[in-house]
Amino acid sequence: MSAMHEIPGGGQSLLTVEHLTMRFGGLIAVDDVSFQAADRRITAIIGPNGAGKTTVFNCLTGFYAPTVGRLTLHGRGGDFYLERLEGFRTAQQAGVARTFQNIRLFPRMSVLENLIVAQHNKLMRASGYTVLGLLGFTTYRMAEADAVDKARYWLDRVNLTDKADWEAGNLSYGDQRRLEIIRAMCIDPVLLCLDEPAAGLNPRESAQLNQLIKFIRDEHKIGVLLIEHDMSVVMGISDHVIVLDYGCLIADGTPEQVRGDPAVIRAYLGEDEKEELPAVVRQDLEQIQQAAPEQDGEAR
Amino acid sequence: MAVTATAARAGAGFSLPAMVKEAGLTALVVLGLSFYLVGFETLDVPGGVDIRTRFGDVAMAVVIAFLGRTAVFLLRVGRPRPVLLLAPPIALLILVALLSETLFGPVIGARVKLLVPFDSPVVMWAVLAVTVILAVRAAWRLSHDTQQLSDEQRDARAGAVAAQVQRALRYLGPALLVFALAMPFMPFANRQIVDIGTLVITYIMLGWGLNIVVGLAGLLDLGYVAFYAVGAYSFALLATYLDLSFWICLPFAGLMAASFGVLLGFPVLRLRGDYLAIVTLGFGEIIRIILLNWYSFTNGPDGVSGIPRPSFFGYDFTRNPAEGEASFHMLFGLEYSSMHRIVFLYYLILALALLVNFFTLRIRKLPVGRAWEALREDETACRSLGINPRNTKLTAFSIGAMFGGFAGSFFATRQGFISPESFTFIESAVILAIVVLGGFGSQIGVVVAAVILIGLPEIFRELQEFRMLAFGMAMVLIMLWRPSGLLAHRDATLRLGPVGRGGGTAR
Repeated sequence: MSAMHEIPGGGQSLLTVEHLTMRFGGLIAVDDVSFQAADRRITAIIGPNGAGKTTVFNCLTGFYAPTVGRLTLHGRGGDFYLERLEGFRTAQQAGVARTFQNIRLFPRMSVLENLIVAQHNKLMRASGYTVLGLLGFTTYRMAEADAVDKARYWLDRVNLTDKADWEAGNLSYGDQRRLEIIRAMCIDPVLLCLDEPAAGLNPRESAQLNQLIKFIRDEHKIGVLLIEHDMSVVMGISDHVIVLDYGCLIADGTPEQVRGDPAVIRAYLGEDEKEELPAVVRQDLEQIQQAAPEQDGEAR
Repeated sequence: MAVTATAARAGAGFSLPAMVKEAGLTALVVLGLSFYLVGFETLDVPGGVDIRTRFGDVAMAVVIAFLGRTAVFLLRVGRPRPVLLLAPPIALLILVALLSETLFGPVIGARVKLLVPFDSPVVMWAVLAVTVILAVRAAWRLSHDTQQLSDEQRDARAGAVAAQVQRALRYLGPALLVFALAMPFMPFANRQIVDIGTLVITYIMLGWGLNIVVGLAGLLDLGYVAFYAVGAYSFALLATYLDLSFWICLPFAGLMAASFGVLLGFPVLRLRGDYLAIVTLGFGEIIRIILLNWYSFTNGPDGVSGIPRPSFFGYDFTRNPAEGEASFHMLFGLEYSSMHRIVFLYYLILALALLVNFFTLRIRKLPVGRAWEALREDETACRSLGINPRNTKLTAFSIGAMFGGFAGSFFATRQGFISPESFTFIESAVILAIVVLGGFGSQIGVVVAAVILIGLPEIFRELQEFRMLAFGMAMVLIMLWRPSGLLAHRDATLRLGPVGRGGGTAR
C-alpha cells in the first residue's frame, strides 16, 4: 500500500500500516493488517472483543515489537519506522502519544505534576540534564513556567483548573480519563492514540469527550487514532473507520460505508451459520436435520 | 455511616462464651510460645549445663495474657466499666511492688516485691504500661463515648498529622537545624552524647540516600550497605595504598560507589518488586564476600586499619603534631582536648547529611526527580510519555549509591578501622527500616525514624537483648497501624493555586 491510495475520509497520510502481523506463540492476534490513517482526521478502530485492536495500538506505540510489518509515521522531520523504535522513543522521537484502556495516571502525584511529567524531555533539556537546574539557572525556571502555562491551557480546556493541585488518584473517573488525554497532549504529539476513551463515561461526559477530541483534531491539527466500543462516539466523530475481527481487517471506509457493510454486521450481530459452510456440508446438515424429528421420536 | 458501623459493632456486642473463647485462645498461644522459651532456662554450672524450670513465670504469663485479652475484648464491645474497675488497682499494685525497695526499705520491700510475678523489672514495667494504657482507654471511652475508628479513618487521621508536621517544618526545620548545630555545645553534651549524635546522623544520611532509591524512585533496594562498603573501602584503600587525604578521597569514594550503583542498576532494569529486592540483596552479599575473600587487596577478614583521620583543612587533631606542622588546637589557640575531633566529626557528618537533604529537596523539583516519582507510580505510563526508564532508574541508583559512598567514607575515617563485618545484611535492613518506618519519601520521617531506631537503642543500651525485641515489635506495630510509615506525606512539587494557604513546600 502506498500514499497514492485515497484514504477514506480524506486527508494527508500520517500513518501507514503495512502487513502488520503479531503472533503470541501459536496465537495470531493481528493477521496481515494494512491501513492508513490521515493527518487532521479521526480514525476509529472498532471490532468485537478480542479482535486485536489493542494489540495494534501496542505495536504502534512501541509496547510490542510486531512479528511482521512496517509501521511508517510521516511525522515532523521525516518518516519514522515505528516497529524499529525502542519503547519510549515512539513517544519521545516520533511523537506518538497514547492513553490506556485502564487509566494509567500517576495517582499520588498532583494533576499539575502529571502534566509536567509529560513534558519531561523538554524540561530535561532546559535543565541541562539536571546539572544547570541543580545550580539554579534561570533557563530551567523559565522552561518550567512555560510548562505550567501549557498545563494550564489544557486544564482550562477540560475544566480541571480548580482541581490542579489535587492528587490525580482522587479525581472522579471521568476527570481521570480527561486528564489522561490532556497529559498525552502535553508531549506535543503528531498522532494521538486513544484506547477506549469513552469506556465508563455517562452520556454527558461522553459528549464532552467528543468535543475534546474534535477540538484536538481541529485546533491542534494532529491525527487521532481511537479504539472505541461506543458507537455514538465512533459514528459521531470519526472520519474514517477500520473494522477488525479475529485479527483481520474486514472493513475500511467512512462511517457510512462501514455501517452498511455486511461483513461488519456479521461480525457484530453474528451470522447465519449455514451460509458460511461449504455446499457439501450444508446439504449433509439439511439431511440430518430432516431426519432428526424421527430419531427424536424413537429416543422418547 | 461510620456511626452505624460502630453501633453495629458495639451492638454485635458482648457474649460471655465469645469472650472466654477469645481470651482463652490468646492464653493458649502464649502458653505455646512461652512454654519452652520461658519455661526452661539453661544455667552454666561447673562441669556442664543445667536446666532450671520457670513454670511459675509461664503460668503468670498465661494469666496476664488472659486478663489482657479480656480487657481488650471488653473495650472493643463497648463495656469499659469492668476494665476501669480492675486495671487501675492492678497497675497500682505493680507500681508499688516495683518501687517497694525504695518506698519501704529493703526488709519489707523484699517481701512486698514477692507480689510481682516476674523477676525482670523491664518486663514488669512493660506489663504496667499496658495496664495503664488499658485503664486510660477505658476511662476515655466511658467519658467521651468515642466511636471506634475504622482503619481508614485512623490512617487518614495519621495522614493529616503527617501533613501538619510537613507544614510545621517550615519553622521546625530551621529549629531542628539550629539544635543540631548547637548540640555539641550544650551543657548535657558529653562525649557519649555527641558520639550517639554522630551515629544517628550517619544513619539519617544513609536513610536520606536510600530514600532517593526506595522512596522516590520506588526501587526496593535490600543491598544498600554494599555502597556504604564500597565507599568505606574506596577511601580506606586509597588512603592506605596511595597515602591520600580524606578530602581528596571523598569524591573518589562517592564516584566509585556511584559506578557500582550503575553496575547494579544495569542487570536489574527489567526487574520489579520482589525480584528486584532479591537481586539487590544478592548484590550486597557479593560485595561483602569479595571484600572478605580478596585477601591480598582488602586484607580480608582482618580489615583495613590505620585509616587516616580527617584533618581540619590540613590541620590535624593531634596533641603533638609532627615537626613544622600545626594542629587544630594550636591554630585556634585552644587547650588540647580529645573532644575536638569528635565534635569535628559530628559537624562533618552533619554537613554531609545536609548536603544530601538539600540535594534531594532540590532534585524533587527537577524533571529527573519528578520522573523518579512517576516511575514509582507507573512505569508503563512513563514509557508512553517518552521518559527513558533506563536512564531514570540508573540515575536514581547511582545518586543513591554515591551518597551511600560518602557516608561509607565518613564511617571509615571515623572508625579508623573497617572490616567486612561492618557491612552485613542487618545494616541494609536497619537503613531500609528507617526509610519504611519514617514513611517512604518523607525527609523528616527519616530523621524521626533514625532517632527512634538508632538513638533510643543506644541510650537504652543496658536493656541488651531487649533492644532487638523492641526493634522488631516497633516494626510490627508500624506495619499494623500505619503501613505507609509514620510521617508519610507527599507535598506536590509545584502548585497552580496560591501557595499560602494549605501550601507548604517539601521541607
